[in-house]
Amino acid sequence: MSTQLLIAALVQGSLYALIALGLNLIYGTMRLLNVAHGEFVMIGAYIAYWGITLLGLSPIIAIFLAIPFTVALGAAFYFGIFKRAMRSREFVERIEANSLLVFFGASIIIQNVTALLFTPDQRAYHYLEQIVHIGPAQTPISKLVALAIAGAVCIGAVAFFRLSTLGIAIKALIQQREASALVGIPVARIDMICFCLGFAVAGLAGVLVSMTEQISPYMGFPFTVIAFVVVILGGLGNMLGSLFGGLLLGVLETFGVALTAPSYRSIMIYAVFIAVLLLRPQGLFGTKRART
Amino acid sequence: MNPHLNRTLGLVTLVALLAIALPWLGNDYYTGFFFELVTWIALAESWIIISGMTGYVSLGHVVFIGLGAYVAALTWMEIPLWTIIPLTGLSAGALAAVIGYPCLRVRGPYFVILTFGVSELVKFIIVNIESALSQAGRTLFAAPDINDLYFIGLGLAWASVMIALLVRDSRFGAGLRAIRENEEAAETIGVSVSWFKLAAFVLSAIIPGMVGSLLILRSTYFDPLQIFNPQTSVLIVTMAVIGGSDRPFGPLLGVALLVVLQELLWANLPQLYMIIVGVLLIGVVIWMPGGVYGRLQRAFAAKPTAARPT
Amino acid sequence: MSLLTIDSVGKTFSGVVALNDISFAVAEREFVGIMGANGAGKTTLFSVIAGNLRPNRGTITFADQRIDGLRPDHISRRGVARTFQIVRPFGNMTVLENVMLGAFYGRGRERSAGAAKAKAMAILERLGLADRADLLARHLTLAGRKRLEIARSLATEPRLLLLDEVLAGLTPTEVTAAVDVIREFHKSHEVTIVMIEHVTRALMALCQRIVVLHHGQKIAEGTPAEVAKDPKTLSAYLGVTAQ
Repeated sequence: MSTQLLIAALVQGSLYALIALGLNLIYGTMRLLNVAHGEFVMIGAYIAYWGITLLGLSPIIAIFLAIPFTVALGAAFYFGIFKRAMRSREFVERIEANSLLVFFGASIIIQNVTALLFTPDQRAYHYLEQIVHIGPAQTPISKLVALAIAGAVCIGAVAFFRLSTLGIAIKALIQQREASALVGIPVARIDMICFCLGFAVAGLAGVLVSMTEQISPYMGFPFTVIAFVVVILGGLGNMLGSLFGGLLLGVLETFGVALTAPSYRSIMIYAVFIAVLLLRPQGLFGTKRART
Repeated sequence: MNPHLNRTLGLVTLVALLAIALPWLGNDYYTGFFFELVTWIALAESWIIISGMTGYVSLGHVVFIGLGAYVAALTWMEIPLWTIIPLTGLSAGALAAVIGYPCLRVRGPYFVILTFGVSELVKFIIVNIESALSQAGRTLFAAPDINDLYFIGLGLAWASVMIALLVRDSRFGAGLRAIRENEEAAETIGVSVSWFKLAAFVLSAIIPGMVGSLLILRSTYFDPLQIFNPQTSVLIVTMAVIGGSDRPFGPLLGVALLVVLQELLWANLPQLYMIIVGVLLIGVVIWMPGGVYGRLQRAFAAKPTAARPT
Repeated sequence: MSLLTIDSVGKTFSGVVALNDISFAVAEREFVGIMGANGAGKTTLFSVIAGNLRPNRGTITFADQRIDGLRPDHISRRGVARTFQIVRPFGNMTVLENVMLGAFYGRGRERSAGAAKAKAMAILERLGLADRADLLARHLTLAGRKRLEIARSLATEPRLLLLDEVLAGLTPTEVTAAVDVIREFHKSHEVTIVMIEHVTRALMALCQRIVVLHHGQKIAEGTPAEVAKDPKTLSAYLGVTAQ
C-alpha cells in the first residue's frame, strides 16, 4: 500500500517542485512574487487539452506549444503592463502592495477569459491510461510519464545550478544582485533568461498536470498557493530548496490525506503553509534574518 | 474635535436617514439592489480599517462573513435576532483576534496569501464539522423579509462609514498610518505596532461578521462552500481599491461602480464582469493610485502653497 | 549619576561579531560622541540600545532600569529616542503630522490632537521647519528630512536622544546650521545626547566625551582632545603607530 502512496507522492511532489522552481526564477529577476503563477500552469494545461482534443497531439508535443505561449504571455504582461507601471513614481513607492494587486488583477482576467472561452466546466482527456503494476502498486502510465519528465527536469535543474556557469551565475544574481553586476555577470541578459525559464517551466508543469488530473479555469490559484508554500519551505530564492520543498509537500499531502480523508487535502496544505510561515518564515533551508 | 469631521459625520447620518425611505420607492427587486449596495459598503469600509490604513492587505476577509453566517445559522430560532447580530459581530472579532495575533507578524504578499489560506482553512474545518454533524446544509425558516434586512444593512453601512471616519481622524488612525508608512520608525517613536495592527484587524472584522448573518438570512440556506466564497474577498479588495482605499469615502465609489456593473452583467455574463473587475483593478492601481476618489480629490483640491521642495 | 549604562554588550549576526564587550556610561545632560570607521558597529549599538535589535550578551540600563530586550516602543516610552542613519520619514504624511506622531506616542503621550499640534509646531519653529509644516515629508530635501527626523524624535520628549549621522550628506553651511540647532537644543532642554558622527569637527565642537569603536570594540574613550591624541585611535584611522 505504501508503494502506491509513495508513487503518488513523488508524482505530486515533482510537479509541485517544478511549479515552485518557476516561481523562484521569476522572483529572482523581478523580486516580486507572481501571484498569477498558477494561471500560467493552467494555460499550459489547457494547451495540452486542446492539443490532444482538437489536433490529436500527444501532450509531449504540446509541451513545445505550451512553453512558447506561456513565455510570450509572461513577456507581454511584463513589458506591456508591468514595465509601464514601474514608470509611475507613486506605483514604485508602494511597489509590494501595488504589484500584488496588479498580478492579482491579471490572474482574475486570465481565469475568467479562459472560463468565458471554454466554460467553467472541468475537463480531462484520455492519454496513456493503461495501468501498470510496480510491485504491489498500480498506476496509470500517464502519471509515470509526468513523473519521469518532471523528475528529469528537476534533476537537470539541480545539475544545472550546481555545475554550469550560467546556473551558478543565476544563483549569484538571485542572492546578490548588485554584486553580481560588479563581477561582470550580464544581469540584463540573465534576467531575461530566468524570466523566460520561469514561465516556460510553469507552462511545462501545466501540461504535465493535465496528464494527471482534471483541469478547469480556476485550477490555477491552488497551484499558486502551493508554489508559495513550497518556496517558503525551501527558502525564497533557493532553487534547490524549492525542489526539496516540493517533494516534501507532495509527501506530506499524499500521506496526510491517506491517513485522514480526501476532503482534508486543502486543510493539509493550508495548515502546512500557515505553520511554516509562522514558525519558520525563512524556510527549512533559509538562514534567519535579523530582527530588523 | 475637528469641526470639519463633525460636519462630515452629520452629513453621513443625514444621508443614511434619507436612505431609510428607499424601499418605499420601488418593489422588492429594488430593495434587493439597495441591500446589495449597503452590505458591500459595510464590507469595503470595514476592510479599509486594516488594509487601507495599515497596508496589510487581507485577502481572506470572507472568513469573517462566513463565521458570522455560521453563528447565525446555528443560533437562528434559538435566540432573538437582536441578540444574534451582535453575537455574530463578536464572534468575528474573536476570530480576528485569534488569527490576527500570528498572522500580523508576517508582511507583504505573505500576509495576503496567509489570510487567504486561513480563510480556506476555516472553510474546510467548518465543512468537516458540518459533515461530522451530518448536516448537508442548513435551512433557515421564517427569515426576516428583505425590507427589514435592508434596514439592518443600512445601519451597518452607516456604522462602518462612521467608524472609518472616526478612526482616520483619531490618534489611533495616525498611528496606523505611520505603521503603513514605515513600521520600524513607528515602533521606534513609540507606537505599539503589534497591538495597533491587531486592534485594527479585530475592528475590521466585526461588521463583516454581522453582514454574514444578514446574507445568510437573505439566502435562508447555509452551505459553507457557498458562503466562504474567496471571490467575495476578491470583490471586497477590488471595490475598496478601485474607489480608493486611502480615504473613508473612497470605497463608496468603488462599491457603487461594481454593484451597478454586477446588476448589469452578473445574471448573464459573470465571467465578463470579473474580467472587467480585473481590468479596472490593474488600471486603477497603475494609473490612479488613491483610486477614483483620490483622483477626483486631486482634481478639485487647491494646490499647496509651497509646491517646490525647500 | 549615569542615565545610560552599557555593560559588556555583545551582538552577533550569524557568526559575524558586530559588537564585542562594549561598556560605557552616559551621565544625565552629557553630550557624548561615538566615532569609528564604517562597520565599526556604531549603528548596531544604537539599534541595540533603542530596542530595534536584541543584544546577545550584556545589559543596558536606563534610568536605573534594565532595557535590553525590551521592544522599541516600550523603550521609547521610557524616554529614549533615536534617529535613523538612512532617514525614515512618514513620506505621505505632512511634516506637521510626522512630528505630531512623535508627540502622540513616545514619552510625552499627548492624547489630544490640539496639544500634539501645538507641541509639534513649537519644535518645528525651533528647527526652522515651520514654514514647511504642510508639505508632504517626501517632498523635503535631504537636509529637511534630517531635521524632520530630529524634530520627530524630540516630539517624543526624550530624556536620551541618539543621533545617528544626522550631518551626513549636508553641505558645510547646512552642517554649521545643524550643529547650532543641536547645540541650542542640548543647552535649553534637558536632553542627554549621544551622537554618531563622521564629521569630526562637529564631534569636537559639540561633545564633552567621545567613545571610539573599531571592529565592534571600544578602543578609546575620553575628551575630544584626549581621543585625538590616543595612539589606538590614530592607528585605527590612519594606520600609523604613534610615536
